[in-house]
Amino acid sequence: MGVWIDSELCNGCKRCLKACPYDAVAMRGDKAVILEHCTACGACIEACRQDAVKTDVVAREIPDFSDHRGVWVLAEAQGGELNPVSLELLGEAQELARTLGQKVGVILPGWDIAGLAPTLARFGAAKICLAEDKALATYRVEIYTEIVAELVAEYKPDILLIGATSRGRELAPRLARRLKAGLTADCTMLEIDPDEKILLQTRPAFGGNVMATIASRYSRPQMATVRPGVMQPCECEGSQAEIINHLVKVPETPAVAAAKVLEVVREAKRKVRLNEAKVIVAGGRGTGGEMGFKLIEKLAEGFGGEVAGTRIAVEEGWVPVERQVGQTGQAVRPELYIACGISGAVQHRAGMQDSRYIIAINKDPGAPIFSVADWGIVGDLHQIIPEMLTQMAL
Amino acid sequence: MSMIRSDSEALIKKTMARFVDEEVIPKAREIDESGEFPYDLFKKLADMGVLGLRYPKSVGGSGGDTVLYCVAMQELARGLMSLAATTAMQCLMATNGLYLYGTKAMHEEYLYPALKGEKIGAFQLTEPEAGSDLGNVRTSARKTADGYVINGMKTWSTNGPKGDFHTVLCQTNPDKGLKGLMFFFIPTDTPGFSHSKKFDCLGTRSSTLSEIYFNDCHIPKEYCLGEEGRGLDVLLTILAEIRIMTAALAIGLHRAAMDDSIKYCKERVQFGKPIGKNQLIQAKIANMAVNLEAGQLMVDKVTRLVRDKKSCLNEASMAKYFTVESACSASDEAMRIHGAYGYSMEYSVQRYYRDNRFLLYGGGTHEVLQTTIARQYLK
Amino acid sequence: MKIVVLIKQVPDTTEVKLDKKTGNLIREGVDSIVNPDDRQALELALQLKDDCQAMVTAVSMGPPQAVDVLSEALGMGCDAAVLLTDRAFAGADTWATSTTLGKAIEKIGDFDLILCGYQAIDGDTAQTGPQIAEYLGLPQACYVDNIENVEAGKITVTRRNDEGYERLSLTLPALLTVSKITVAPRYPMMGNLIDAGCEDAAIQIWNAVDIGALNSELGMEGSLTQVVKTFSPKTKRAGELLEGDVPEMVSELLGKVRQAHLI
Repeated sequence: MGVWIDSELCNGCKRCLKACPYDAVAMRGDKAVILEHCTACGACIEACRQDAVKTDVVAREIPDFSDHRGVWVLAEAQGGELNPVSLELLGEAQELARTLGQKVGVILPGWDIAGLAPTLARFGAAKICLAEDKALATYRVEIYTEIVAELVAEYKPDILLIGATSRGRELAPRLARRLKAGLTADCTMLEIDPDEKILLQTRPAFGGNVMATIASRYSRPQMATVRPGVMQPCECEGSQAEIINHLVKVPETPAVAAAKVLEVVREAKRKVRLNEAKVIVAGGRGTGGEMGFKLIEKLAEGFGGEVAGTRIAVEEGWVPVERQVGQTGQAVRPELYIACGISGAVQHRAGMQDSRYIIAINKDPGAPIFSVADWGIVGDLHQIIPEMLTQMAL
Repeated sequence: MSMIRSDSEALIKKTMARFVDEEVIPKAREIDESGEFPYDLFKKLADMGVLGLRYPKSVGGSGGDTVLYCVAMQELARGLMSLAATTAMQCLMATNGLYLYGTKAMHEEYLYPALKGEKIGAFQLTEPEAGSDLGNVRTSARKTADGYVINGMKTWSTNGPKGDFHTVLCQTNPDKGLKGLMFFFIPTDTPGFSHSKKFDCLGTRSSTLSEIYFNDCHIPKEYCLGEEGRGLDVLLTILAEIRIMTAALAIGLHRAAMDDSIKYCKERVQFGKPIGKNQLIQAKIANMAVNLEAGQLMVDKVTRLVRDKKSCLNEASMAKYFTVESACSASDEAMRIHGAYGYSMEYSVQRYYRDNRFLLYGGGTHEVLQTTIARQYLK
Repeated sequence: MKIVVLIKQVPDTTEVKLDKKTGNLIREGVDSIVNPDDRQALELALQLKDDCQAMVTAVSMGPPQAVDVLSEALGMGCDAAVLLTDRAFAGADTWATSTTLGKAIEKIGDFDLILCGYQAIDGDTAQTGPQIAEYLGLPQACYVDNIENVEAGKITVTRRNDEGYERLSLTLPALLTVSKITVAPRYPMMGNLIDAGCEDAAIQIWNAVDIGALNSELGMEGSLTQVVKTFSPKTKRAGELLEGDVPEMVSELLGKVRQAHLI
């Protein structure tokens, strides 16, 4: 079983190399060859215009899923309050539903949730299924799996979106296994393939070094989790929703009986290590001292990120040494690095230039930090940061 | 069922490399500046079974050999030479006589704890008047009814002040010269044992070197390590291994100097391009790489000869001479590549430059080694 | 007590670089390591071994060279190891992976606790653990950072969540996914690493037939999701200097930050 290339037919165009998601095609001389770690996914077969890629893999038949309709969101509520990610997912669901010509539905399991239906309707749900029961007041993945699986089987959605919260990331895979459905985690982009009308799910892999687009052709619903903050909520005026109150019967499976929550503890923000922070706001000599770092702290707080400093800032005692970024400090690669009053000597750049996005704020337009920044503002951080805080309503 | 197994040598290298990256390198500067020996790291190495790498499991070792021992020492030397040198000594010179010639009781009291990192051993060869010239060793061992009395002094003793027991080269009969030499086992708590304060040295700052003194130290006869008068032969059984271990330490330091240089010359931009784009810098990197590769081949060859109990003293001397000289040159060039930053105590290259000097003397000075190597061809 | 720990060999993603020309991953020269969360799962299992003489078996699915992560697990002190390797396993998504590992665990049969890492650094999906729990019908706890005690067939654990933590009691057998424990995982012992390389090492090699699986439920063929394409997230920095007065620049900047989903 496998894929191979007929070298007689190969014209060395390298289309298959570019198409291979697994990097399993290489050139030997002017012909392409398939490497050992090929998974026979077939991407190269479609890409080849010479018909040179051969396979003995029988194409899998795609079952008829026409009875599955609707873009559904699994909403999350705690103590009578909706998790904001649920509304963000509804915003995205509206987009997808419009493209498909389908409707948006919501499943909301929990306790003390009846009052949330109007909000769900206002943010785009056309059908709202409430599964309300005291047994669901405290979240347990085993019980939630039973309840939600039952509802999905009943409503047969085409697409099911779940927030990638700590609970969603635990529930979604278990639910997917129960539903015999494919699942893609932490998607950052969702779109509908114009030809196949399937959900294309794009997510980062390999620590964010690669983006992968994934499809679930062989199962329904097409399930995806999405990180909080990625999608935009979208309010719709005067929309009407059908509200269904589902009668919950908690089944007594062994797994349900085996798990008990002893205690739920809410904590203030925990100490995060620099190399795990998603956002880092760093200051250098240009901050001018503690006043400047007060601003930096506020900005970091606004982003839910961490404060860091250059070697100079550490030596001046403005930040503790465990927050030093650079060649003699730590190397970091957050999603966003905001360099304030940092000129960007190579010794500092070495510790932060792999960050996904970099913002530089510096008075000197010739500062080397701008050469590694995505976006730069030439100006005084003492004016710019307060303005940022104001505009972020902090 | 098919046989799929890991290569233990590669796994040990990888494990030690991770240990060095995670545990040693982040603390190296602080340890070097404090001058305190890092006992916590030494204990961790013991817990991983590194100290027993050369010894069979029957005496509490890890069941390895010289090849695996030198692989581990290379990695450790990449992190911090003082830690590597002390560990290397504990594995080999400080314990080998005890392992080969010690009684079961001595093994229980000293060898097992030594391999667990609970006791530290030291190896005493050098005297003020006897370094390369071992025939001139003056520390005397006088036979008594039930043992020996040791008198004299040793110098440049690594772990001298911190050791719990010592393997000491003594003269049993001054008339016999080299044929009167013998190794003795002397615990630190033997009455009459004392030491000077720690020497202040250029490199390996957290190793403790000192003079030690023996004043009528009475020891039982089983503390004589081997057959009387065969001390030189005892030394010769491990001399090749000592030299190739020293070469392994040099390889580790060389690699550290090269890694730092490569990193720096990619990052440091002058005239609008990284300095690594300049041919004179490239020449330095090329020389470092070629010498490292050549040295590595020598070490890999000789460790296997030692493991297979083949005679290889000359090859070991060549390897020690070549790798340590190469590491000297690499640490010098690394400082040049770093420019003024290389001169700063904030960067590690200055430490490599200082620490490597230690390797020039241990295991035989190069002036003597060159002579003995040449003698092999001119005889 | 018998514990199964599931571990994965992953590329060290901190070393992964992209080819600037093709945008492809450069895999050559990138070290393979034990997935960091899995190493923590191993440590928790070995602490139970230290405390209550648990017998620990490490299991990994992967190519033949994945035997190295099992050798490391033996090095840390695991009692036995199973390598699941077969061409038919290749290209599996988490659905097919959980089938394969689930069947292997069924073959092992006798176990009280399954531990695995919360997520793997090459995929970051955190799906395989819960899917195995579902396959085997076991209770699960994800993001466990501490085991409080094991008593009378029950285990008490704490697990992290977005708001703080929960204390849970699970009846054994159960599955835990582990991350961010307070103790640094132990390093492998040299003697164990030497033994792991020997022919008589306690490593079993199983293929699809050994675990009684059909090719149609394994690997690429048994997967429900497929990778359609991969691409580089971003090859070059925009390097854009914003213009205007302070409020204008800030407003433009925040717009870009929002567009990139950073707020």
